[in-house]
Amino acid sequence: MIFADAIYVARRELLKFFRAKTRILVTVIQPLIWLGLMGNMMQGFTQNPFVANLLGTESYLAFMTPGIILMNVLFGGVFSGMSIVWDRRIGYLEKLLAAPVSRAAIPLGKMFAAAIQGGFQGLLILLIARALGVRFASGFPGALFALVVAMVFSLILSGFSLTIASRIKSQETLMAVVNFFTMPLMFTSNALFPREAMPAWLATIAHINPVTHAVTPIRQVLLFGWNWSSMWVSFLVIGGLALGMMFLAGRSFLRATVE
Amino acid sequence: MEAVSVENLIKLYRGGIRAVDGISFAIIEREIFGFLGPNGAGKSTTIKCIIGLLRPTAGNIRILGVDVEKDPGVTKRHIGYAAQETAVDDQLTGWENLYLQGRFYHLPREEIRHRGEEVLRLFGLWERRKDPAQTYSGGMLKRLDIACALIHRPKILFLDEPTLGLDVQTRKAIWDYIRALRKEHEMTIFLTTHYMEEADELSDRVAIIDRGKILALDKPGALKATLGGDLITLKFASGEERVAALLSAIRAWPGVRDLRSSPDGIHWIWVDQRGDRFIPELVQLALEHGVVIDSVRLKRPTLDDVYLHYTGREIREAEASREEHYRARILQRRVRR
Repeated sequence: MIFADAIYVARRELLKFFRAKTRILVTVIQPLIWLGLMGNMMQGFTQNPFVANLLGTESYLAFMTPGIILMNVLFGGVFSGMSIVWDRRIGYLEKLLAAPVSRAAIPLGKMFAAAIQGGFQGLLILLIARALGVRFASGFPGALFALVVAMVFSLILSGFSLTIASRIKSQETLMAVVNFFTMPLMFTSNALFPREAMPAWLATIAHINPVTHAVTPIRQVLLFGWNWSSMWVSFLVIGGLALGMMFLAGRSFLRATVE
Repeated sequence: MEAVSVENLIKLYRGGIRAVDGISFAIIEREIFGFLGPNGAGKSTTIKCIIGLLRPTAGNIRILGVDVEKDPGVTKRHIGYAAQETAVDDQLTGWENLYLQGRFYHLPREEIRHRGEEVLRLFGLWERRKDPAQTYSGGMLKRLDIACALIHRPKILFLDEPTLGLDVQTRKAIWDYIRALRKEHEMTIFLTTHYMEEADELSDRVAIIDRGKILALDKPGALKATLGGDLITLKFASGEERVAALLSAIRAWPGVRDLRSSPDGIHWIWVDQRGDRFIPELVQLALEHGVVIDSVRLKRPTLDDVYLHYTGREIREAEASREEHYRARILQRRVRR
């Protein structure tokens, strides 16, 4: 029953997501700017063979594509928590709690919706990158795998923001708390900058940063092709974190009242 | 069977505020039960304890004989709830709101389609079902909200301030829907309100609640009767010599409490209740005695008078102390977020 309930919670979010044309348009334009502008700006820099060696590719655009996909997921995760705060404010959460819906299904459904949204936006970014000349080493199956990783990573982020939102009542506070974590997570990862070029202390942080573990398999498969021996640890890390977050978020709503 | 029974319900909020202070009452099946009280009296808190949104500090609540805390999965299916805030997702259409609600109650698709059409037609929203809810008026939103609460054919409907912030015509329309639900669908309805006319107009029984306690509970008519009943003011046009005989005949009537006369020929008659039914008989009696009536006036106590009698303050709490304002604010903040 919990999954059936979660599906309808997710369905509500997705109905609204695909109806919000402006929001989708922005999610297309934003990576377009990042890839088009920043990617090209850094292109001269990657002409340097030393840098190209660090990046593992001569195309910074290709290097940053996985980073942009995950950045999108990372910053999109806050919306899940926001939607709960909003539902609480308009009384919709009360309505759900008054119904015989499994309580854990409320955060789970929102997490599934966030994952699907993240996957959809990731697909748009991949298409844009392709149009800008990025070639994927393992073709369509690799791209699909990259999107699956992004979706799993999205579960972590949305689960995190939902867990926090189960305690926090104002959107402003939630936004501040979630960004407090997401910004450093982004910039201490290898999403936009190669770990090999980091000072040792930063590289250590990057090594345990979950964003890095999401970037690594995506980058591996998109840029260099399938290589499970360098991907499976990262894949297990984010898979495990996603399961843990599902559990935590679900639990934080189990005893939820409106008090 | 009792639809709802509440025994010694206590709800303490953090900070030690006693929102509900040991109340007990029972709602009979198929009645409209009104909960009347000012803002912050504990009305919403009581409802939220009954439907399982808040955990009571103490007390026992049963719905159709089933303990709410022990078996919420069962009791929730019997309950429909429309909150004070209109909890409609305005980015979805009316139909989508209703459909999802049906799914949250685990109804099969076919049944939602069938029942959904029924409730939308009942509330006059069928033609607008495909429009986004943000294009609806306030009254339509409220109707949609109540329609959603009915999708799973609940036995008991909880309406928290159903007409708050609606204009007079819309309020009257909502009243008609509520009456129709009880009459045609044999539903038990619990409604809270701080509008006197609403409680008076709709409820079979009214509980007056203030500061977390029930001060009075009875039929609206009976509550009004406790205040000394209806007052009839009478003036005669002619037949002065026969008035004395008529007055003593009136005084002897059952239901007449008191009769006083002023030197300039005005007579006041206090009757227990239903002064409106008393007047035709009075006219008949006057005719028999050959007395011509010049004018009759009836004043009935309103629920306002009853309310003031019990709480000793205006419902708007114009003169409430600072402490009471604080208390009301805290409660509202807790309950409507």
